[in-house]
Amino acid sequence: MLVSEIDMITPSSLSECLMLLSKKGRIHRVIAGGTDATVRMKEGKWRPEVWINIKNLNELRYIEESDDCIHIGPLTTHTDIIHSPILQRKADVLVDAAREVGATQMQNMGTIGGNIGTASPAGDTLPALYVLGARLELTSMSNKRTLPIEEFIFGPGRTVLKENEMITKIIIKPQSPNEIGIFQKLGPRKAQSISIVNVAISLTMEQDLKCREGKIAFGSVAPTIIRARKCESMLPLGQLNDELIRNIAKIAWKEVMPITDGRATATYRRDMASALLERGLYRLMRRWNNQ
Amino acid sequence: MNTKWVGKRVKRIDGPEKVTGELKYMTDYHFDNMVWGKVLRSEYPHAKINSIDIEPAKNLPGVICVLTHKDIPGFNGFGIVVPDQPVLCSDVVRCTGDAVALVAAETLEIAEQALSLIKVDYEPLEVVADAEYALTDSAPKLHPDGNLHSHVKIKNGNMEKAFEEADIIVENTYYSPRQMHAFIETEGGWGVMDDEGFLTIRCPGQYAYRDRMQIARSLAYNPERIRVISSPIGGAFGGKDEITVQIYLALLALHTNGRPVKIHLSREESVIAGIKRHPFKVQMKTAAKKDGTLLANQVKAIGDTGAYASLGGAVIALAIEHSCGPYKIPNVDLEGFCVYTNNGIAGAFRGFGVNQVCMGIETHMDMIAEKLGIDPIELRKKNVYHQGEVSSVGHIVKSSAGTFKTLETAENCDLWKNRAKYKSEVSEPWKKRGVSVATSFHGIGMGIGLPDYGAASIELLPDGTFLVGVGCEEIGGGNSTAYAQIAAEMLNCDISNISIVQGDTHRTLDSGTVTASRSTYTGGRAVAAAAPRMTELLIQTAAEMLNLDSSQIALRPNHISAHGEIIPYKSIYKYLHDHHQTTRVEGHFYLPKEKEEIKGSGGAPHHLYGYLTHVVMVEVDTLTGETEVLRVVSIPDAGKVINPQGLEGQTEGGAVMGIGYTLYEDILIENGYHKTRNFTDYIIPTIRETPLIETFPVEEPEQSGPFGAKGIGEVVMIPIIAAIMSAIYDATGARIRHLPATPERVFNALKDLKKQKVQSTR
Ligand SMILES: Cc1cc2nc3c(=O)[nH]c(=O)nc-3n(C[C@H](O)[C@H](O)[C@H](O)COP(=O)(O)OP(=O)(O)OC[C@H]3O[C@@H](n4cnc5c(N)ncnc54)[C@H](O)[C@@H]3O)c2cc1C
Repeated sequence: MLVSEIDMITPSSLSECLMLLSKKGRIHRVIAGGTDATVRMKEGKWRPEVWINIKNLNELRYIEESDDCIHIGPLTTHTDIIHSPILQRKADVLVDAAREVGATQMQNMGTIGGNIGTASPAGDTLPALYVLGARLELTSMSNKRTLPIEEFIFGPGRTVLKENEMITKIIIKPQSPNEIGIFQKLGPRKAQSISIVNVAISLTMEQDLKCREGKIAFGSVAPTIIRARKCESMLPLGQLNDELIRNIAKIAWKEVMPITDGRATATYRRDMASALLERGLYRLMRRWNNQ
Repeated sequence: MNTKWVGKRVKRIDGPEKVTGELKYMTDYHFDNMVWGKVLRSEYPHAKINSIDIEPAKNLPGVICVLTHKDIPGFNGFGIVVPDQPVLCSDVVRCTGDAVALVAAETLEIAEQALSLIKVDYEPLEVVADAEYALTDSAPKLHPDGNLHSHVKIKNGNMEKAFEEADIIVENTYYSPRQMHAFIETEGGWGVMDDEGFLTIRCPGQYAYRDRMQIARSLAYNPERIRVISSPIGGAFGGKDEITVQIYLALLALHTNGRPVKIHLSREESVIAGIKRHPFKVQMKTAAKKDGTLLANQVKAIGDTGAYASLGGAVIALAIEHSCGPYKIPNVDLEGFCVYTNNGIAGAFRGFGVNQVCMGIETHMDMIAEKLGIDPIELRKKNVYHQGEVSSVGHIVKSSAGTFKTLETAENCDLWKNRAKYKSEVSEPWKKRGVSVATSFHGIGMGIGLPDYGAASIELLPDGTFLVGVGCEEIGGGNSTAYAQIAAEMLNCDISNISIVQGDTHRTLDSGTVTASRSTYTGGRAVAAAAPRMTELLIQTAAEMLNLDSSQIALRPNHISAHGEIIPYKSIYKYLHDHHQTTRVEGHFYLPKEKEEIKGSGGAPHHLYGYLTHVVMVEVDTLTGETEVLRVVSIPDAGKVINPQGLEGQTEGGAVMGIGYTLYEDILIENGYHKTRNFTDYIIPTIRETPLIETFPVEEPEQSGPFGAKGIGEVVMIPIIAAIMSAIYDATGARIRHLPATPERVFNALKDLKKQKVQSTR
């Protein structure tokens, strides 16, 4: 398929979009901000016969709180997330992660739906969504289903999304006042970089530095995002002082199964899983202390 | 000296149109009847070509022509010094950047498709992936004379005795990366031939006249029938010094029936086919006395020039000439090897070999200072040469030499004086800060053995303004503004009355390259040589017009005055024009040279050098190994500063490029194949990696330069490399000798350090 032969259709409503998705015949793919799509098109990897351009479907661009849940439209940009007062208060880890996506231009164009759709092991909002217990609403002409993000992604770039479906909503549980989160990223440089390792942490705190429970999710160290259950189970063991933090962090390297690629060796990635967890927990505790 | 323009913060004359994006680069142009050119690159890093079948490609609808080596009318080769690189390979390919065929087609996509239809029958050969291996007998020979392209050697004094007498000796090996120029505009341009066979090539380059010569040689075509326009340029840094696509454009233009043909490399193609900085392995052994006096330096440097020479020989020669720093070391044994491999192609790049050796000598200076308990600036001040003294390579330095002054300024700058305080201000407990200093120098102009001249023209225009023409291109460094300042100063007019034309074989005189930190110095001197001729022309003409003696005529800002009468330049133009007299003058200049070449040095010494000292502060995250450069002080000796704002452009850009070289950048090649593809994995600094950069010039005027100026375009990126390396050591105790100092390398060095400590406490 040559790029010049690819068509683009721009539906003006969600229902029109779903109708287009249900059409058989030509191979299609949704394009939102296009920051992943155009790169892969250029590389020859994504060459559908027709792009379904959803960038202008404003009905899919929102952040709302209702029924004890925060609902995020898939066309919400990273910049929208960064500037959202609701998310700043009740999903700090996601805001943190959105700030680390590329740089301003990418944050303006790139969407959360696109970040999930690409399902890269290095996708920066994904670990945050994992620790926030995100659920995704997938809609087709005839059906609607909701499933946890863990079940949506099953490999690098591989998801359970059917040809006639699209992501129409991301649902997260808002953090309570004693819940705090942080996102840590290590890339080859500060801006415009693909994560070598990243980690999202969300903790429910009690008195002092005592943590009741917490969630930790690593990116870029396995085929998909992975939760560090062993580390999580150690979080409530005592005051989260420097010593406990260091001990928990040391365990992290056992939980990850990274590979060596052009960006880093597997050994370094393992070490960095520990380092980022240590850095993240330390920073979180310092913030909690100052609150 | 009281000046109106020179030495002042004059805004870039090309600034507004570049900042607004209004300026069109040559690769931005499109024409209705334009066709697209593409280059077929080799599939293998080293292979024999058995046959090339272009028929299927030719038959693809929309294809205009497909060319191979058989279609080259003249000489099938190019290269600035030795034309050992085939324009289109015929029998062997030596790197994956090698060109095998050319296509012109109606669209870019058709051209790309056509490439995939060209069937080349290759027979893969053993790949020479390592420069040291290339020098062994078992490595296949990549060129008829073997794999050693050049060898330089400078030897002075008595090494054995010096090392015997030494109180301290440090010895280490350094590895440097294959840096990419990463210009914003990749290689490209367009070519067109008119009905009368006149060929125009518009292609960014760093020496239009030489590009024209290389094109003419391959086309067997009268160079006077070729016009090369090489300016403006979306960045070059040495990467467009060699031929990029000019000859391809010319060959295709012969076959497109007068339609303009455009080639513009994708970033991926540019990564593979464009020249890069030579990766070096440098072994260095330096000896000193207890009091810090340097006694001896032994250097063995091996540079990987890839498949072809380009300027590799000159790069190695310059590296060796500069390998001892701006010091006076009495005993030296310096040896450099420029070696062919199948690793792409290396060539000119800002710094030209000096970057790779500076990191060695400057690290050794710090190690010696530490071991002897001498302040690192003191140690340097003790050993630097002053004007009139003998350098380490053994020549008397007759031109201005400002290292000592730059070191004094470094000593007194806030960052250095208060370094203890700044170092203690870390933001988190696992972060560590270090502050270090390093100094270096860089030759200006060509060395011995190469002609080096400048030329400029000044033309009086009908509206009474002046058009200044200099061959040297504006590659982004700001030389056009410097030329305008010098012209305005000397013609006693407003700078808005000066316009500049550069890099055009039909409109400017040959003024040599825009390389070797030479264009402000050389072009500036040429403008300064032409200007008095223009004033003379103005005065003589006015005298003639008024029937007065020329001594009664005075040059006033923007006009001539005589006996209370004012003659605008417009009238002078009209008078000259009406009398069929020329309105154009020329100025020529020959660069001063040293008389005697140092034996075996390949062109050393230079007559002139620019000097610079850097002070930097870094912060290392010991948890991850990330290094952040927090502050840079750049202290250049560029002679008289023509434009402080332009100088800061250089010191700031140079510092960032040096940061990139030290911490991030490397084109990775494995067994001849590029692992780095594009800017996804080639990491250059962004604004978030850009620290506060202060510039404190010391002005050590150079007699021979325009208004006392020298050159500074390259040394601005050099000492910072060593300074960052030492600052990492100052912060953490870990020495990195293999650049770039990526987080992983620094982290591993810290890990090793911990292991050593554990072992030594046992
Ligand atoms: C220079 C640069 C830097 C980058 N840096 C980062 C970074 O630091 N961190 C990071 O995580 N990513 C980064 N990215 C990747 C990219 O910007 C993000 O993944 C972004 O969120 C993608 O969103 P998009 O709207 O542009 O997706 P698109 O490119 O439009 O789409 C991506 C994929 O998602 C699918 N998709 C989009 N919307 C939906 C939907 N509603 N339902 C179902 N499928 C959908 C598309 O079909 C496609 O397969 C970078 C990209 C570039 C070019």
